[in-house]
Amino acid sequence: MSNFSFIAETDWRCACCNKNLQASKVNVEYMGSVFNVELMVCPDCGFVLIPEDLALGKMLQVEQLLEDK
Amino acid sequence: MNEKSSSDILSSTKSICPVCLKRLSAVREKHGDDVYLVKKCFEHGEFKTIIWRGPLSFTSWKRPKKASSPQHTFTKSERGCPHDCGLCPSHGQHTCTALIEITTRCNLRCKVCFADAGSNTAADPSLDKIAFFYDRLMQASGSCNVQLSGGEPTVRDDLADIVRLGREKGFSFLQLNTNGIRLAEDEAYAKSLKDAGLSSVFLQFDGLSDEVHLALRGRALSEIKEMAIVNCALAGLGVVLVPTIVPGVNTQELAGIIDYAARFSPTVRGVHFQPVSYFGRYPEPPLDSARITLPEILMHIEEQTNGEIPAHLFSPPSCEHALCSFHANFLVQEDHSLKGITSWQQNCCAATEKKGKIPAAVVGREKSVSFTARQWSAPSACKCTPAEVPENEDELDFFLRRAKTHTFSISGMAFQDAWNLDIERLQGCCIHVVSPEGNLIPFCAYNLTSSQGRGLHRAGGGQ
Repeated sequence: MSNFSFIAETDWRCACCNKNLQASKVNVEYMGSVFNVELMVCPDCGFVLIPEDLALGKMLQVEQLLEDK
Repeated sequence: MNEKSSSDILSSTKSICPVCLKRLSAVREKHGDDVYLVKKCFEHGEFKTIIWRGPLSFTSWKRPKKASSPQHTFTKSERGCPHDCGLCPSHGQHTCTALIEITTRCNLRCKVCFADAGSNTAADPSLDKIAFFYDRLMQASGSCNVQLSGGEPTVRDDLADIVRLGREKGFSFLQLNTNGIRLAEDEAYAKSLKDAGLSSVFLQFDGLSDEVHLALRGRALSEIKEMAIVNCALAGLGVVLVPTIVPGVNTQELAGIIDYAARFSPTVRGVHFQPVSYFGRYPEPPLDSARITLPEILMHIEEQTNGEIPAHLFSPPSCEHALCSFHANFLVQEDHSLKGITSWQQNCCAATEKKGKIPAAVVGREKSVSFTARQWSAPSACKCTPAEVPENEDELDFFLRRAKTHTFSISGMAFQDAWNLDIERLQGCCIHVVSPEGNLIPFCAYNLTSSQGRGLHRAGGGQ
């Protein structure tokens, strides 16, 4: 399903492992739902970079759609 | 009550005597998994009524709020709740949904009818009178959700004018409470209501089989209900299916109703269960076996869906008192199965509230007004044919596209009658009926009758 991705060259490095981030498929659990997307990930510890445009874009839209009472 | 150990008593509240309607002290008393409301009138004796049954934790089902006084009150607090309703300054919640009864006439003779419709021969209120109701509502509450009710509102030929008037008066979400008979008969009628500004249809829908309809409504209605839904779909109206749940009649159909509703998504926006309550003349108290409580409905749903809709997905409300309702939200997937999409137990509001930061009731009211209007209306992005799937769509994109149209709610609300009335719940009520005088009366207080059928607030009542 996930053939669109948030893979992009980035200057960010993993602070713990000091490794360049690599593209990887990850399961993002958000607001109780799991989404499979491609993101930049630390190859050693698996720490994931959520880019600003994802956080303020689709994730915000998901949050607004799932707003409960 | 003095023979009971204190460990049985969970908490105290106030209630009324079902016979004389006097205010009484009451306790919530635990017996095994079950909880009862117990009260004693010195003149008419002790009354003990089931309010919670089964293994779900009663004491964990809570969502406290700080009372929020109504914007404008029409009565004074003098004799004590529920005798002062109007609303009075002691009330603890603003109006989320107001009911305006636009007729007492009805085209069914149901065995269960909180409004006692059909037996009252009062003339329909004029458009001018209804304008007065809208004005009083706006004065008391500001903009809120409005449900046009009855009787059966569709017996009026000027219903579209009443809807249009409500929109002109500044109410953006108007819902029709109906049995669906006229909507089923006349596709153009549904369209005319949509064009007038109606958002949603609150469709009485007690089950899938005609046996259920015959038992509760005295008429085989299955085909009529489906045609009503179809005509609402053609008109672009959102529909909520509203089953009244009666033990021994339709408790076995809960999962079936949910499954049926989901197949009509996105037109059908959700299912709203209402356990039966007892208004009218009951010289003997209704048996506990004739009642079903909210946690039992959740357990039935879980069992009947083989665990696919588990009870833990459901939350107590942010707006009304916790013991009044449950709700959960879902995504209708392409195979029509339901996927839970929020869990209040896990979200940040719950965490904040669990840390002891108790929100003002009005905060929940604001959330509930906007959520209900959004969820129970037809989605603005609604397309009757499947939208074209964009290229390179990832799961977030898919979710976003689907959730714009195919969210679905399952909720339930327990009304109170003279036997199980809990005044703490009543004071937190957000569902208010506009009385003929233009006052706002909490729904359960408005429909409340003594065991002899004497009304407390409804016209023709004894007080």
